[in-house]
Order: sequence, then structure tokens, then C-alpha cells
Amino acid sequence: MNVDLELESWRQQWQSVSVVPPDLRKRVDRQSRFLKIALILDTLVTVGIGGPVAVWAFTSPQTDIILLAVVTWILTAAAWAFRLRVTRGNWAPASLNTRAFVDFLIGRCRSQLAAIKFGAVLFIVNLTFCTAWVYHHTGPHLGLFSWPMNIVWAVTVAFYLFLPWWNRRKKAELARLVSLREQL
Amino acid sequence: MKSFTATDVLLSQPEASDLLNREAPAREFDRLLAANGPALGRLAASYTNTSSDRDDLFQEIAIALWQALPRFRGECSERTFLFRIAHNRGIAFLVRRRPLNSDVSDDLEIRDPAPNPETGLLQEQSAQRVAAAIRRLPVGYRQVITLMLEELGYGEIADVLGISESNVGARLTRARQMLRELLEEQK
Repeated sequence: MNVDLELESWRQQWQSVSVVPPDLRKRVDRQSRFLKIALILDTLVTVGIGGPVAVWAFTSPQTDIILLAVVTWILTAAAWAFRLRVTRGNWAPASLNTRAFVDFLIGRCRSQLAAIKFGAVLFIVNLTFCTAWVYHHTGPHLGLFSWPMNIVWAVTVAFYLFLPWWNRRKKAELARLVSLREQL
Repeated sequence: MKSFTATDVLLSQPEASDLLNREAPAREFDRLLAANGPALGRLAASYTNTSSDRDDLFQEIAIALWQALPRFRGECSERTFLFRIAHNRGIAFLVRRRPLNSDVSDDLEIRDPAPNPETGLLQEQSAQRVAAAIRRLPVGYRQVITLMLEELGYGEIADVLGISESNVGARLTRARQMLRELLEEQK
């Protein structure tokens, strides 16, 4: 068979396939709304936690309350840095050429792996500071296994179960990306 | 299910500079999707093996296009821009999901079924055979052949993938050879 005829025949068969999901526009609108809502919620949580603490420190300027406000804002800023590092450029570099995009994905995956260690340390710092502060502020009334502390321990366990799983997943993703780059 | 004819596509192919005048980005987005929907759908199908994955990827491509469209300044042709986005989302999807299992069949839909049901069935089978064989190619070859089948020139393919035109030629030769072998195997 003539080479060009062969390509033309493949092209005809390839182009005979038409797959356009229905209501695509609605789905895109819905997903865009979700992305905006997620960002608004994150901002609300930041303001909801940081705002009252800052107001408290302003209205009752005692050393421990000022310390709480300062540390809360430092940790919140660190958490935002962590989040931005993990989600950085999810859509932004969409129109890079494929090779540059894969390099970008590899870079992002490596920074996400670094961010996992950062997140683990940040959580411990946060936990230690908050429990020490609460203990210092309320005295020995709050037992280690009282119900508010049990919630803290449950979140801690869940977080430290999640981190190794996420780490493994990201490492596998990085390995796939590196192998993919060799093919491109 | 929306369907598009070749005339729809030809009538809605603007110059890249048309995108710079964005009085109605939503209309622009709709026009791009209407003109290129079938091609983007085929491309999504080349990265996936089930219709639900394909639709998910198509949706991701559409969202990425929606997000990237305001930043498009006409540095490359509209098709290059679209196919870059589509392939990049395809790559990201591939990395996140499990590797392709080409044994799983897909439910492809044929745009112009032949009036004769028997001919239609043969046409459908042969289209599925080509699509399945293409999915079995290594990604680098798969990208080149799918872009070639969508009638992009060597220069455009090089622009989409970030490789040289001579590299496109070399990959295309190898991709065709592998595709031929895979189709022979399927007979």
C-alpha cells in the first residue's frame, strides 16, 4: 500500500470517531465555581481563626495572648505557603509545550515531596505550641485524654497516616513523570 | 450528544489575532469547543481506555482551556494553543491514573455511520482497531501520530510538543511502523 494512502486511510478511520460529552459547558462552569468556593472557604478559615485571635490580642494585650496571636499568624502563613506549593500552577502553565510542561510537573512534584516534610514538621510545631499554650492558660484542668484533646489526637493520627500515603503516591508520580520524560 | 460537521469546523476557524479581541470570552470558549470538540475528544480518548475516564479528561481539558484562554496572546496558532493544553492535561491525567490497559475496550461513537448497517459496523470496528492500536503506542509516538491524524503540519506538531521538526519526522516514521505492526497483530 502506498504510504500516503495508508496515512489517509488511518486518518479517515481516526476522524470518524466523535466523542463530545454532553453539557460540557455546564460542567466547566460548575467546576470553576467549585474552585472559587474552595478559595473563598480557605480565606474564610484563615480570617475566622486569625481574626479573633488578633482582636483578642489587641483588646487584652497580655504576653501569652500576643504570643498566641503572633504564632497563630506565623503558622497560618506557613500553612498557606504549604498549600500554595502543593497546588501551584494547577492550571496556569496549561499552554506550555509538552516537554516544558513535563519538566514543570516534575519540578512541582519534587516541591510537593519537600512540602510533605515541611507539613509534618509544621503540624508538630503547631500541636506542641497549642497544647502547651492551652495547658499553660487553663491549668491542669484539661486532661490529656479529655474529649477536646481526644479530637486533637484523632486529627493527629489521621494526619500522620495520610502523610506517608501521600508521600508514596507522590514518589510514584515522580517516577512515572521521569520515565515519561525519557519517552518524550 | 452534540455532533459537528466539517462545515461547522471550517466556518469557525479564525485567525489567532481574533482571539485578542475578547468582548465575549464565554462565546469564544464555546466557539473553540464547537470547532475543535471532536478533535479534543479523540485526543482525550487516546490517553484513556474507558468512556468515563475520557469524559473526565475532556472536562479537565475544557476547564484548562477556560482558565488559559484569557492569557492567550496569539504567540502561536490557535490550534497549537488548543492541542498543547489538551496534550498537557492528557499527560497530567496519565501520571495520576493507573497505566493504560489496552485490553479494556472503549465505546467509541462513529460520526457518520454508513447507511448500510453492515458497512457501518465494519467502519466502526476498523475505527476502533486504529484507536486501540494508537493507545498502545508509547506516549511520545502516540502524540505525534494523533497530531498528524488531526492534520497538523510538522512545524505545528514541533510547536505543540517542544521538539524539533526533524525529531517529529523521525518519531512519525517509527510511530507509523509500530502502528502498522500493531494493526497487523490485530488481524
